[in-house]
Amino acid sequence: MKEVGLSRADVSAKDKAKGSGLVERLNAQVAGRKLGILLSMAASAITLLTMLPLFNWFKIVNGYKLVKKLKVAADEVAKLKGGYSVFNMLSFVQHSGAGILGLFAMMMLILACACLYFQIVYIVKGALNKTDKKGYLGIYGAGEAAMLFGVLTGCVALIFAAFAKKNLGLEAIRPTVFVYLVIAVSVIGYVIVKNMQVAERRIYHEHGLLMEIKKNWVLFLMLVPTFVYFLINNYLPMAGVYYAFTQFNFRDGLWASPFVGFKNFEYLVSADLFRLTRNTVLYNVVFILLGNALQIVFAILVSQITVKWFKKSAQTLMFMPYFVSFVILKVIIYNIFEYQYGVINTLITSLGGERIDFYNTPLYWPFLITIFFIWKNIGYGMVVYLATIMGIDAELYDAAKVDGANIFQQIRFITLPQLKPTFIILLLYALGGIMKGQFELFYQMIGNNGVLYNITDILDTYVYRIAMTQPLSIGLGTAAGLYQSVFGFVLIVVTNWVVKRKNAEYALF
Amino acid sequence: MKIKKGPASIIFNIISYTLLTLGSIGCVIPFIMILSGSFTDNKTILTKGYSLLPRDVTISAYQTIFKAPQDILQAYKMTFFYTGVGTAIGLMMITMTAYVISRKEFKYRNTVSFLIYFTSIFGGGTIPWYLMYSSVLGLKGSTLAIWFPALMSPFLVILMRTFIVGSVPDAITESAKIDGAGHVTIFSRIVMPVLGPGLATIGLFLALGYWNDWYRSSMFSTDSTTWELQFYLYDLLNASTAIKQMSQNIGIVTGDLPTQSVKLAMAVVSTGPVLLFYPFVQKYFVSGITVGAVKG
Repeated sequence: MKEVGLSRADVSAKDKAKGSGLVERLNAQVAGRKLGILLSMAASAITLLTMLPLFNWFKIVNGYKLVKKLKVAADEVAKLKGGYSVFNMLSFVQHSGAGILGLFAMMMLILACACLYFQIVYIVKGALNKTDKKGYLGIYGAGEAAMLFGVLTGCVALIFAAFAKKNLGLEAIRPTVFVYLVIAVSVIGYVIVKNMQVAERRIYHEHGLLMEIKKNWVLFLMLVPTFVYFLINNYLPMAGVYYAFTQFNFRDGLWASPFVGFKNFEYLVSADLFRLTRNTVLYNVVFILLGNALQIVFAILVSQITVKWFKKSAQTLMFMPYFVSFVILKVIIYNIFEYQYGVINTLITSLGGERIDFYNTPLYWPFLITIFFIWKNIGYGMVVYLATIMGIDAELYDAAKVDGANIFQQIRFITLPQLKPTFIILLLYALGGIMKGQFELFYQMIGNNGVLYNITDILDTYVYRIAMTQPLSIGLGTAAGLYQSVFGFVLIVVTNWVVKRKNAEYALF
Repeated sequence: MKIKKGPASIIFNIISYTLLTLGSIGCVIPFIMILSGSFTDNKTILTKGYSLLPRDVTISAYQTIFKAPQDILQAYKMTFFYTGVGTAIGLMMITMTAYVISRKEFKYRNTVSFLIYFTSIFGGGTIPWYLMYSSVLGLKGSTLAIWFPALMSPFLVILMRTFIVGSVPDAITESAKIDGAGHVTIFSRIVMPVLGPGLATIGLFLALGYWNDWYRSSMFSTDSTTWELQFYLYDLLNASTAIKQMSQNIGIVTGDLPTQSVKLAMAVVSTGPVLLFYPFVQKYFVSGITVGAVKG
């Protein structure tokens, strides 16, 4: 190990003393690197092996006392078997009813999955042994992550056992020898990788996080408020997805409510999920396609107007709805479609017709919602496309005019093709938000009008209602939200991947 | 070079003027309806319904509102407070963050950018977010819960970075660094002074978001003293409890209340400032959207 840890500077100092040649020096280093990578890969492999479900990381002791203490139902007792791997601790939580351990067990599960992933990545990278423009730093980085996650997973397992002991009031879950083994080999592997990394970094003038903080501490300081903001507003709430797997009750509270596995999701699938997904996706697909089409049409129309005041006022007026709140939209809807006094019904009755009961007729609303979506957003999209049209090279049009192309041909063969990149990028952005889909629009237009839910309820309104009025369904609402997040995430990653393969320029990341 | 207009151009012009006129009217008509409704006598509304142009013009709805203005003034005051504090702090945080991730010498700029961007494609969902503020931090009923959550957004940070990259050439910051300027000096003396349009644009986006918000009041407010203006309006539309309250304050029997026109007048009062400022600030929004569009 010491041999491996020699930095280049050490090597050269020694070599000077010995007076040996360049080739030998290089050979020594290559051999040391090979050995180091091999050893740390072995550590990775050991960690990987012990994580297989065959090996128990935890052993249940004092089983009889535990069953009595937790008042486990008779038919569940048999399921509390003798040992658990690092992955299935949650089934212990579920069958024992010790909901308080749930969040911890879930964190451990996520950590274990991440750990598994990093071990595999390192083993593959190490086996391929490919260098890039920063030499072996890529491989060492993967190794560092793998070893760190090995240590972390092991330590969390130990802490979990201690936490369980404290909470259950008796020693019930005991970590086995595998936990200690993983920690030990990962620590050794870490030391090896780190030593090689330090030597390699010196070659490429790279430095680690601590050096970077010391050098640019002002920049780090400037990021502190942002860090706090995103931690509180976005990252910490992610831990709350755990509620999706629990059945909330007031006695046990948020974190100790019984863990029920996928029951909430099963209920969602059987009850509302299909309808909610259908509504959310269909509405948003129509919004995106129709919205963009009309925005493009109006942007082209505006761009061709030569009378300045007309151009300006058209743009100003059509952009106006973007600036008012959705509550104003509610007022407008009420004003136009109200049964007794609404503008439309007033008009109908004055012409001698029958009143239309909009608020109790679901059929109208998909059209109304789409129309008002377009009303609210047309000005914004118009500005985006107008910016692109203004950027088109005027020579293209001049050349086309000389060739005798009329205005329709110019639009067809110059403007539209030039708008394609903007359209694709906006489409990609919109696809990512397809599951989020315009909560304020739906909520202000429909509100709590249950008659219309079947055809107008989207995931966001469903979750919002649960949050505001049904605290006991928190698990269900979180499950719907999680489904929404994961669906949207997968959608954007897959679309981006496809787009990247076809044309990397359009990809979002 | 002047090219004679063919028949296609004439047809196109007819189409475009017609469509744009129709589109503009369609976008504005709802506002005119609200405005005229708010000036219409309530009895006329009850008997003849709303109409496009005001009939039996009266300002009684506005008089009703301003006879007992405590509630709406309180909502106005709170909204000004949220908008002011939120915009000022948010703008500062967004600008600093955008500056840091625009620095090439900052090794982790891609990591930081990614962590910020990631929040826009994945999240824990509404309920964990709500419980974070209400149960974990115990901010239910506090004004902090209303302005804090909207301080930043990935879109605005990325937009600001585009502004900074576009208006401060690398050569200038490089030469300042050679002259011994630190990040604080570069940020406050070089970047901030040329960032006027960017600050105005992002600040207006933030302010508009705060002004138009009703959602966070609906989630976190426990009593009407912390309500945002739009939520006040929302509540008025929903329950009309505020009108009853108001009538008790000024001693009118609820039956006689001009409820319909008061709702519309309240909508006008709460949106007025936005639409008054709109013609003057519109260009900043356009420039912001344009910069964002060019970057993609």
